[in-house]
Amino acid sequence: MNDAVKNVSFDINQGEIIGIIGHTGSGKSTLVQHLNGLLKPTEGTVLFENEDIWKNAKEIRKIRSKIGLVFQYPEYQLFEETVFADIAFGPKNMGLSGEELENCVTETASLIGIKEEYLQKSPFDLSGGEKRRVAIAGVMAMRPKVIVFDEPTAGLDPRGREEVMKIISDYRTATNATVIIISHSMEDMAALADRIIVMNKGELVLFDTPEKVFASAEALREIGLDVPIVTRVFAGLRAMGVAVSPNVFTVSQAVEALVQLKEGAADA
Amino acid sequence: MKMENIIEIKKVSYEYTEEERIFAAVKDINLNIERGSFTVILGHNGSGKSTLAKMLNGLKRPTFGDVIIDGINTKDEEKELEIKRKVGMVFQNPDNQLIASIVEEDVAFGPENLGLSPAEIRVRVDDALKSVGMYEFRKSTPHRLSGGQKQRIAIAGIIAMQPDCLVLDEPTAMLDPKGRAEIIDTLIKLNKEKNITVILITHYMEEAEKADRVVVMNDGEIIADGLPAEIFENVSLLKSVGLDVPQTTELLYALKQKGFRVKTNVISIKETAASIAAALGSEEK
Repeated sequence: MNDAVKNVSFDINQGEIIGIIGHTGSGKSTLVQHLNGLLKPTEGTVLFENEDIWKNAKEIRKIRSKIGLVFQYPEYQLFEETVFADIAFGPKNMGLSGEELENCVTETASLIGIKEEYLQKSPFDLSGGEKRRVAIAGVMAMRPKVIVFDEPTAGLDPRGREEVMKIISDYRTATNATVIIISHSMEDMAALADRIIVMNKGELVLFDTPEKVFASAEALREIGLDVPIVTRVFAGLRAMGVAVSPNVFTVSQAVEALVQLKEGAADA
Repeated sequence: MKMENIIEIKKVSYEYTEEERIFAAVKDINLNIERGSFTVILGHNGSGKSTLAKMLNGLKRPTFGDVIIDGINTKDEEKELEIKRKVGMVFQNPDNQLIASIVEEDVAFGPENLGLSPAEIRVRVDDALKSVGMYEFRKSTPHRLSGGQKQRIAIAGIIAMQPDCLVLDEPTAMLDPKGRAEIIDTLIKLNKEKNITVILITHYMEEAEKADRVVVMNDGEIIADGLPAEIFENVSLLKSVGLDVPQTTELLYALKQKGFRVKTNVISIKETAASIAAALGSEEK
């Protein structure tokens, strides 16, 4: 029997943004499905607010409204006749009804920029990016304290990706929820995550700040990952004898560092 | 030397009706594709690039104008099969394109339908799998493979039909970075070694780096057409039409706006570093 996830331990604090990186098959998706009880660990425990989520197995569904999971390509799971009904599905199962339910749906829709007139449309008449947003809204409508995204921007065009990343950061600002994101984009993770979990062959190999994780370029490369593009450009500059920092991960950090360097040279 | 066009697109428009209104997905386009070339068509979702792709093997026919494939007009319904054999299509989701439970059976599906001899089918399947680097997986089950591997199997299935031209509509959109690199490397190899004309439709600008030519579409029209370096230099145009600009380009562009004298028509990490180093060096003098 193969273990998809092996002997993994980590703690996440309230309100953190955690990135999970690892190549396809590294166990990322399996790992996050343990967080809300979709999968039950064969060994070990998952604690939410200091309680084992499997303490009362009959109540496991309740955990799923507290720890929301947005799957890969969540739009494939839209099934209701209207956008409203799709967003309402989760909160309805939590026991919301009438005005309370209606308010919850319209608030969530406005939070993520779905126009009111869209609510009565069929989700199947929307564009790919819009469908994705409706599917994400369905999970956000349950107001989970922790929301987990499995590659939320996969398959979207640049505009769609930007929109989805904005929804995620808006939700966090509005609710102070903990956000966990599986991503292939080192660049997005560098710009967004407080801490990054690196998975390989089912094991957690690194769990640290972006600075510390991306300082391990060699270790990342060995497991089929890499540091952000800008960091690689800076490594190239150092190889050419330009004295720049290895701790540069985003375009804005890079511009700032180079402007300083240039001004320093002009002063000298 | 005069290059021969394998595809000629002449004043082509494609219109469709929705809620009793007429929309044009493609507007009066002219484009010739040379045999053996590697062309990338860039555009965001809704730019008309997928509609254009589907017109290249007769899956859609133009409302106005003509699409000529190796001398055959796609309007000629009797030649439909011939056109589909000349131009193979690969789509975004590999899971929708694989049908058999064993890799080599999947690749054999097309050639079997051509009525070839079993010996000929064997040769073609093996050759196609080798050309996409998946021969060692010939006895595997497709659904156990990675996205990049599945997509390479889908490409092998098309290659086994021995088309002159391969049209790929966002074949990497659902893949991870490793899978994306596998597909691009495979396409470059097929183009160079088998002289297959490749038309790659994507919204990832990095994938256009090694192409012979880049065509940019927006709102059903061609808004730019040239060598990769020429196109990439026009960052503001690409951004204005919602295209993905690689971070190397983004960095060079931001530096230029801050007064650095950087070369902006480069895309690789090495060239980007060299461009920045050169700009810093000239500053010191």
